[in-house]
Amino acid sequence: MIMSRRFKAALPILALVLLGACTAGGDDPGLEYAPQMYHSVPYEPLTQIKDKEAGTWLSNREDGLGEFYNSNDNNEFSQNVRMPVPGTVRRTANGSLPYRLKQEDLLIAADVPNPLPDSPAILAEGKRLYEVYCDHCHGSKGQGSVEETSDALVGKVFIGVPAYNSQLKKGLSQGHIFYTITHGFGRMGSHASQVSEEKRWQIAKYVKQLQNQ
Amino acid sequence: MISKRALVRLMAVCTIVCCFAFSGPTAFAQRDAVPTDQAIIDQGKELFSSWACNTCHAVERKLVGPALAGIYDRRDMSWIYAFVKNSQKVIASGDDYAVKLYADNNNTLMPNHALKDGEIDAIMAYVLDRELNPPAAAATAVTGADGGTTGEAGIPAKYMTVIIVSLIVVLVLILVVLGLIIGVLTKYLNEKKELSEDDKEIVNQKVDLGAFFRSPGFIGLVTFIVVALGAKNVIDGLYTIGVQQGYAPKQPIAFSHKIHAGQFEIDCQYCHTGVEIAKSANIPSVNICMNCHSEVLKDSPQIQLLYAAQESGKPIEWVRVHNLPDLAYFNHSQHYKVGGIECQTCHGQIQEMEVVEQFAPLTMGWCIDCHRTTELNTKDNGYYDRLVELHNASSSKKMKVEDNGGLECAKCHY
Repeated sequence: MIMSRRFKAALPILALVLLGACTAGGDDPGLEYAPQMYHSVPYEPLTQIKDKEAGTWLSNREDGLGEFYNSNDNNEFSQNVRMPVPGTVRRTANGSLPYRLKQEDLLIAADVPNPLPDSPAILAEGKRLYEVYCDHCHGSKGQGSVEETSDALVGKVFIGVPAYNSQLKKGLSQGHIFYTITHGFGRMGSHASQVSEEKRWQIAKYVKQLQNQ
Repeated sequence: MISKRALVRLMAVCTIVCCFAFSGPTAFAQRDAVPTDQAIIDQGKELFSSWACNTCHAVERKLVGPALAGIYDRRDMSWIYAFVKNSQKVIASGDDYAVKLYADNNNTLMPNHALKDGEIDAIMAYVLDRELNPPAAAATAVTGADGGTTGEAGIPAKYMTVIIVSLIVVLVLILVVLGLIIGVLTKYLNEKKELSEDDKEIVNQKVDLGAFFRSPGFIGLVTFIVVALGAKNVIDGLYTIGVQQGYAPKQPIAFSHKIHAGQFEIDCQYCHTGVEIAKSANIPSVNICMNCHSEVLKDSPQIQLLYAAQESGKPIEWVRVHNLPDLAYFNHSQHYKVGGIECQTCHGQIQEMEVVEQFAPLTMGWCIDCHRTTELNTKDNGYYDRLVELHNASSSKKMKVEDNGGLECAKCHY
């Protein structure tokens, strides 16, 4: 009798001790507190829970699925994200129109002028973007990856990144540079998904400067 | 005396024979035709780098394109001229060698070069010179560079463990030796007859361990320490409920931030493209991986997983590490672009992580702490000019995020 009473008294403490052991680490995200407030009801772009049973125990969804189920079965692979309709114009395009030239239109693309004005601010932004998206292959001065002294760490592993000031690349127009970032050229892949049109023109301005070094 | 006419005939026959001999499908012994004049070699060397031939070709080994040594043995000069000037035309013409070459080099097109025949001769002269006199210094330089990258500063962890263990062993040995010395000394003193009673008591002193362990003071102390430590652990543990700090799940591909962001210094934003324009920093899609891995580490089994994903179009299901509760709003661009906060402030030393681990607790207290202590980044931002003026008029402290509504509930919870 006394034992069971003592045991009852110890129960809350025991429960606390057990709860305290629910720490995250390794593959275990730990215990969630108030899971209904943690899990998104709308589709989350970077989360996908495909298990329809997940969270059935506390579900009050009208469709009878688990509370945590967060996938869109109308999309391929039940993804919550999907590609924009072709020809979509970004709301934040800053006035620039979509670039419609295709991979095979290099000759036309090379003649497209840079719509941005010459200004130190734009050149500085181009340099900043160059250092984010380009310099690990093309080198901080656009020197490519051939020389031992080149600081293009990825370019040295990739092998064969030409210098901007080489005979072959020196005279390329900004339209050609823009085309190259958009569609890729030779072994370089397309960077269109990473760099917006405006940023590509900014980078082209800075690369033009590196060609003459 | 041979007639003039016969001489002309003989020369014509010789020319024809020579033409056939040099244009045959297998042997092109044009090695001798390549100039060996030092001035031409120097010109070729200059052209080789200024036209960036060296980015894709080396003389003695394959880079992107084939090794050039002996090309004058494999092809005739007119073929080389045509290929250098417009390789696509030669391939399109159905030339067997060109088609095979193109296929052997991953269908990588060689760009067109507006070089003159004489300039290509000069490049060949340089290639021949390099083939015959390979530079010895280059080989040692390469191995030297490789050796330099592996060294790391500090004592490695495994040596540290060995050192600590050996130190402990030494200390235990010292304890044993001291015990033995005490035993010997006690024995020696007991054998001496002239010790007084007081001295004997000191020498033969027995420590009553049992009584000591049963004393209420000792029991009280031990109980206190156990309860205090236990309570601390339990309270700490309870605070981590719903906090995923330290979560480091295994990913479907063993991607290492240590290699990409640390060793190769690729900017975070190269892959996490959304960080300065959007709420989410974004997890890169396969096409971004392929910008480099179209070439780099093609044979690695982990990279093969990338190729499989690209082939099937099925996205790689990375496990989400940082998961802010849905009840709170967080925007990356607001913090990175406007606030100028480094990625490492919240994500830890990501460039040293083999497997990504959640570094910050992502609790509300953690957010608020930072908003209370961080100064507002108002530099070169006209929006803040008047605000800073107003703030400075009423306060002597610098303007913090909290002074701009950084603690308002509805900023993050709505």
